[in-house]
Amino acid sequence: MIQVRNLRKHFGDLVAVDDVSLEIQDGEAFGLLGPNGAGKTTTISMIVGTLSPDSGTVTIDGVDDPTRPALRYRIGNAPQALAIYDDLTAEENLRFFGKLYNLSGSRLSEQVDSVLETIGLTERRKDRVKTFSGGMQRRLNLGCAIIHDPPLLLFDEPTVGVDPQSRNLIFEKIEQLKKRGRTIIYTTHYMEEAQRLCDRVAIIDHGRILALDSVKALIAQHGGKAVVAADLNAIPEDSSALPAPLDGDHLRFETNRPMEDIATLARSGLDFRTLSIDQPDLESVFLNLTGRRLRD
Amino acid sequence: MSRIIAIAIKDIRILSRDFGGMFFVLIFPLIMALLFGAIFGGSGSGRSKGMKIAIPIEQTSAEKAFYDQLSKADVLQISSMPTDSARALVSAGKMVAFVKYTDTSDASLSFFGGTRPAIDVWIDPTRKAEAGYLNGLINQAYFTVVQSRMMDVTNMQASLKTQIATIDTSSLLTPDERLRTKSMLTEFNEFLGSIQATDSAFDARNDTAGVAGSEGNTDSEDYSPFRPPTVNFEEATVTSKGPRTSWEITFPQSVQWGLVGVAAAFAVSLVIERTRGTYLRLRLAPISRAHILAGKGLACFLASVTVCTVLMMIGIFVFGVRVEWPLGLVLAILSAGICFTGIMMLISVIGETEQSVGGAGWAIFLIMAMTGGGMVPLLMMPNWMLAVGAFSPIRWSITALEGAIWRGFTPAQMATPLGILVGTGLVCFTLGVFILARRES
Repeated sequence: MIQVRNLRKHFGDLVAVDDVSLEIQDGEAFGLLGPNGAGKTTTISMIVGTLSPDSGTVTIDGVDDPTRPALRYRIGNAPQALAIYDDLTAEENLRFFGKLYNLSGSRLSEQVDSVLETIGLTERRKDRVKTFSGGMQRRLNLGCAIIHDPPLLLFDEPTVGVDPQSRNLIFEKIEQLKKRGRTIIYTTHYMEEAQRLCDRVAIIDHGRILALDSVKALIAQHGGKAVVAADLNAIPEDSSALPAPLDGDHLRFETNRPMEDIATLARSGLDFRTLSIDQPDLESVFLNLTGRRLRD
Repeated sequence: MSRIIAIAIKDIRILSRDFGGMFFVLIFPLIMALLFGAIFGGSGSGRSKGMKIAIPIEQTSAEKAFYDQLSKADVLQISSMPTDSARALVSAGKMVAFVKYTDTSDASLSFFGGTRPAIDVWIDPTRKAEAGYLNGLINQAYFTVVQSRMMDVTNMQASLKTQIATIDTSSLLTPDERLRTKSMLTEFNEFLGSIQATDSAFDARNDTAGVAGSEGNTDSEDYSPFRPPTVNFEEATVTSKGPRTSWEITFPQSVQWGLVGVAAAFAVSLVIERTRGTYLRLRLAPISRAHILAGKGLACFLASVTVCTVLMMIGIFVFGVRVEWPLGLVLAILSAGICFTGIMMLISVIGETEQSVGGAGWAIFLIMAMTGGGMVPLLMMPNWMLAVGAFSPIRWSITALEGAIWRGFTPAQMATPLGILVGTGLVCFTLGVFILARRES
């Protein structure tokens, strides 16, 4: 279990992380969702001990010093920047990082083969990284994080700047890791990724956690109402029973129970030409909490 | 330790795959050595004018003919001098060899017999390439003289007369061979006489092609069939305390450029690790910062030593650089490797980007090279520049290498440059690590 208490870090006048506290259970997929510069990477860096906090504590599995070697064996990190060597091959990269975690001999070879298979680079194992596409490099970046099969994985924006195909593949592999019981900390500014993967999400902005809960609870608390929009084939004679005034033949209204309301309107004889329901999501949560969109 | 070695191997592998890096580490220093070596006079190798040869002042007519012919070789600069002086100059490395034609008999140049000629060559033992080339030139000169004598019918007849006279007493021939050889030489002598009597043009040609000092030989000599001259090479005892060739100056200089190339490459690579995130990943591994930097330092040290060794091997085996004290050379290379590894560490933390570290690093190294003898040889530096150069590690690295190569340093004399190199390396490395640790915190 990871416990973060009152973490604070500033760079000059900039407060990068401001009184962040959270707990992550074993086997949980935890998301840090926020725009660029929100403090996600700084928080992660302090959790893994590559950055010292100005104040606050981080405890992982009861150990309050994340730099202790015994703890490092339990952590795998895929940094946002591609932390791989361009002039080495995919296999050489994996072997090198495996050796740093004391893997050797047949155990190392097995792990390298397994990871190459996992990230879909077996065919390109002997090729230098500089010849890889951005997506392939991202996958190898992920592979180097899991070469020693750690129980705690940190993925810092792992799908930034990759093509949709690689993005899907990376995401599928992370989902597989989650199913295998790995604890995952996932930072992203793609709300759909956090929504799909994470059991709980912390919304972070300007270094502060604005909300922290399960995706469902966050949406329920901060997402607002669903928006129903419809074009009608015929305008009813009595429009006073409608949930919102008509704009020509266009009807738009907000509701907490969109399906029930649509069913009621249909039963009353309303004839829909088009119909759409815009459910609230984490984007709505962020918008409601900050007044800004995630990618502003 | 295995993880430190893994980091070192990784870094060396990356460097070896970087063509640009390898150019500055190995090719550029070699170019510098060859370029400046050529400018400062080269080795006096057989392919250039300037293979300095000494010959004796005292010469018989036959010897003079040989020496005159030898001096026609474009590649030789021949000076006549007393034997003692010549040998001293060879020992001092100022001359490639002293050539002494020891058989003074005129008949030795006869095609048909005479004493087998012998030529003694007192040569610098490190001039292996020149020795082979000089042997060829000596033989060429000898046969050219023999050929010229054969064109002089009068001398040829005189020589034949002498040889015919020695056949009867020759112990090398059987009676039957004596008879046949005597008959053949007598008929040949008569043939030459008939030509001389009827062909004035032949005489005229002989007059212009005659060889001085070929007056024939009337001494009684045992007959011997034609054999090439014996060229005896004798290695001189080298006593030089100065560089004998420019290569002995330019190769220690080129080693400095190799060291600079390695240090600059590794300093930049450390910045690249930091800016691209691989350093972060290394820091996340179950190893300390000390492990990471030790691995990086080990790689830099091994690369430095390898480059120094390769360059010096080229200097020794290809360009005849003589190493007076091999152990001193090894110590000098190891100390220089330690020094530049430390400097690499310090330079890697003077900037935050590849551009700043690369630019500032090369600027610092250039100043070190300019003041330390990396460009202008220490021998040619004015005193004030030597004083300034005392602050440059390159100065001490060159001094240590030259001390082992030609300065004839004793262990006590060598201790100063080696101590300064190792001390500088340790101080710089410690300082670099301290700055890096402070910056990370």
